Amino acid sequence: MTNPLRTLIALATALLLSASLAAGTLIGAFDVGPGGSPVPSGPWYNTAGNTWISKMWTPLVSLNETASGLSPQLATSWEANDDYTVWTFTLREGVTWHDGEAFTADDVVFTWHHAFAPESAASPERRPADLVGQEAYSNGDADTIAGIEALDDYTVRFTTAEPAPRFPNTLTQAYILPEHAADFAPSEFQTTDWWFTDAVGTGPFQHDAFVPDESWTLVPNPGYWNGAPQLDRLINRYFADETAAILALESGDIHFTYASGDVAVGLGEQPRFELYDGPSGVTNYMMFNYRTNPLFDDIRVRQAFLHAIDRETIAEVVLNGTAQVVPCIVPFEAYWPETYETYDYDPERARSLLAEAGWDSSQRVEVKTYYGSQFHADAMAAMQQFLAEAGLNVDFIVDSEGYNSYFYDGRNWEISYRGLGIDINAFPYSFYERGGYPGSEGDTGTLMGKALPELEAIFAEARPEGDPEQYRSLMQDVCAWQNENALEAYMWTAVRFGVADAELEGFYWYPAPAGGPYEDHPERWSAPN
Amino acid sequence: MFNYAVRRILISIPVLFAVTVVVFLLIEIAPGDIADFFINPEINYDEESLQAIRERFGLDDPLPVRYAIWIGNVLQGDLGYSFLSGEPVARVVTRRFLNTFELMSAALIIGLVLGVLLGIFTAVRQYSFWDYLFTGLSFLGIAMPAFVTGILVLWLFAIIWPIFPAGGTRTIGIERSFLDHLQYLVLPVFVLSLAQIATFMRYTRFSMLDVLGQDYVRTARGKGLGPAIVQVRHALPNALMPVITVVGLSLPVLVVGAVFTETIFSWPGMGTLYLSAVNARDVPLIMGLNLFIAVMVLAANLLTDLAYGVVDPRIRYD
Repeated sequence: MTNPLRTLIALATALLLSASLAAGTLIGAFDVGPGGSPVPSGPWYNTAGNTWISKMWTPLVSLNETASGLSPQLATSWEANDDYTVWTFTLREGVTWHDGEAFTADDVVFTWHHAFAPESAASPERRPADLVGQEAYSNGDADTIAGIEALDDYTVRFTTAEPAPRFPNTLTQAYILPEHAADFAPSEFQTTDWWFTDAVGTGPFQHDAFVPDESWTLVPNPGYWNGAPQLDRLINRYFADETAAILALESGDIHFTYASGDVAVGLGEQPRFELYDGPSGVTNYMMFNYRTNPLFDDIRVRQAFLHAIDRETIAEVVLNGTAQVVPCIVPFEAYWPETYETYDYDPERARSLLAEAGWDSSQRVEVKTYYGSQFHADAMAAMQQFLAEAGLNVDFIVDSEGYNSYFYDGRNWEISYRGLGIDINAFPYSFYERGGYPGSEGDTGTLMGKALPELEAIFAEARPEGDPEQYRSLMQDVCAWQNENALEAYMWTAVRFGVADAELEGFYWYPAPAGGPYEDHPERWSAPN
Repeated sequence: MFNYAVRRILISIPVLFAVTVVVFLLIEIAPGDIADFFINPEINYDEESLQAIRERFGLDDPLPVRYAIWIGNVLQGDLGYSFLSGEPVARVVTRRFLNTFELMSAALIIGLVLGVLLGIFTAVRQYSFWDYLFTGLSFLGIAMPAFVTGILVLWLFAIIWPIFPAGGTRTIGIERSFLDHLQYLVLPVFVLSLAQIATFMRYTRFSMLDVLGQDYVRTARGKGLGPAIVQVRHALPNALMPVITVVGLSLPVLVVGAVFTETIFSWPGMGTLYLSAVNARDVPLIMGLNLFIAVMVLAANLLTDLAYGVVDPRIRYD
């Protein structure tokens, strides 16, 4: 029989040993939360998780620290011709891959040919703008993509199929792969073990060990062009549930995790934690389906919805101040007009508008949603109550799995409570354009079943606009039109939170959509000994 | 008994086939499009990308074609690749099964041993203080949901009194060692074994009380045999028959895992794998899991039936 005392000593030794080995090691739950990848993933087929992926691989450009602009990465500068169809990128010199080989323009050309090969399994969530000859190459009708060429070792020229004033913005998740080392076929993007065993990148960290379902350990890339990282190791731990990650953070097993608003606020009050927050970039709103209920075409009904809900109180009280009311679909104040209708809470006004419009208060309206989190459950409960008091009887139906199929069908919903992630650097308005979404057809072929020629006119002007200020002004016009016409019932944009050990130094996290990638300077991070 | 076992195995083959057909159909008739999972509803998606997803995973083939392709691959030993991770289904199921088997078998063994011992203890002390105490605790153990117990235990022993880690299977970054792994096993096994102890204790107690009232036990006492010999040699073997049934019914749990406990303790097992596969409409993974679980359940049932023949010589299978 085992000596209990000896067992205890052995256990204590293991615990102490593990603690001492953690010196300079930062362990985080980088894939917990909306920006994280549901499974460990490599680039070019990931649905999110860019915060982690960018530790090993690098795109030409990334988002900046606050996801409000671009930051040079493997490209140091770029310029376009007058009609934004030819983009020339100057690459960073002196960059080496993790195995010491030099990074050149040939790697960029290789990456595009690999990702868009005829049998490629790459399915980028954020797809780079199409290049000339790309479709022919992907269909097997051409041997190369005519629209990409290496002018020399450090210059790449892209020729887009259509004018693309924001072409660089579409490259933030186009991670560059090593021509000399990416020895997997394009059809194996999703099935190859290369990402988790022999991966070679240009990122600040390089692969060390991958334990399926548990962790991914990286070690510093001593040759990183922005300075060798200070950490000894960077580890991503995988959790099936946010609660488990929070418990691990509280017990000291990890140094960082995403946390829902209600939890983050409580943790942030403890001195041993530091809170990171930022706009989610997702606007929550109710979209009206003009096909299924003609009364939605009456602006008075839509305005009634807005006046009936006390959005400010919900954001401040129900959501613990973790949301900001928005006037239109874009959640960034830079795109809001100077003045706009606030649709203040006014149930009397709502009732009056409904009466004028001939709304039958006995009817029940289904509001379909895919949101199942506590955050949204609380908000929906409050919304339902407010609406009922104004004579609008709604039933929220949560359908997480089948949402997309009935939503894009167009006939199976009346109102949809949903979120739309807006990339401030992209052109985000296909929902409002005829033919802009799957299955759209006909003259009323927008997602909501209503043609919007006034908006389309602004879009037509904005799409080719390359001047940032002029583009911003046009986007403000879009916001003003949506707000004035109460096109949809815009609710709020949520703030998203990350919680980290206060003893971390140089650490930075931002809730960029899909995890970025964004400029977070991981080479500056250090963890307590 | 050998012939019986062979007959049972042969009958299992059409049963397995029927299971796969039913599961495939259930996935098909479930509302929504399988391709839905690949679309983030918060980001605009175009029809071209959606169709590319369908083609890549063969989702636009007719149902019989998809099933025929799958069963054809299975007969060649290929369970396909997970939609979610791109990993071979056989590999991920094997890995998760080993994790689950370790966790659940530890809990089952502890639950069985302690449950039987406590069942005997309370049965021979019927209506005593200890009987009432352990009976009450057993009701608590059965009634308390695992996710409540799990979070409570984790909070107490990983945060308030940080004796054990807050989840995972091993300390990252050090050499694998049994002792290091053991500390991660303690809390989830404790949580899972509570319900097992309670269940086996209740069954054993009831069965022992029934047997202890039989004539042959009274005869054994009348012959002057000591209480320990009467209880262990004469009563217990007969009292264990129902317990074997319960053990047999519990064997499938060794395979399917416990999703709440695995989630809370970040134990990468079959339960969380199955849940994520269903949520993601990961058809190859769901089919592979169901086939694996069906094989294991059929094997467990066969083992249970054969165990009856070993324990009770009166049972014959020929």
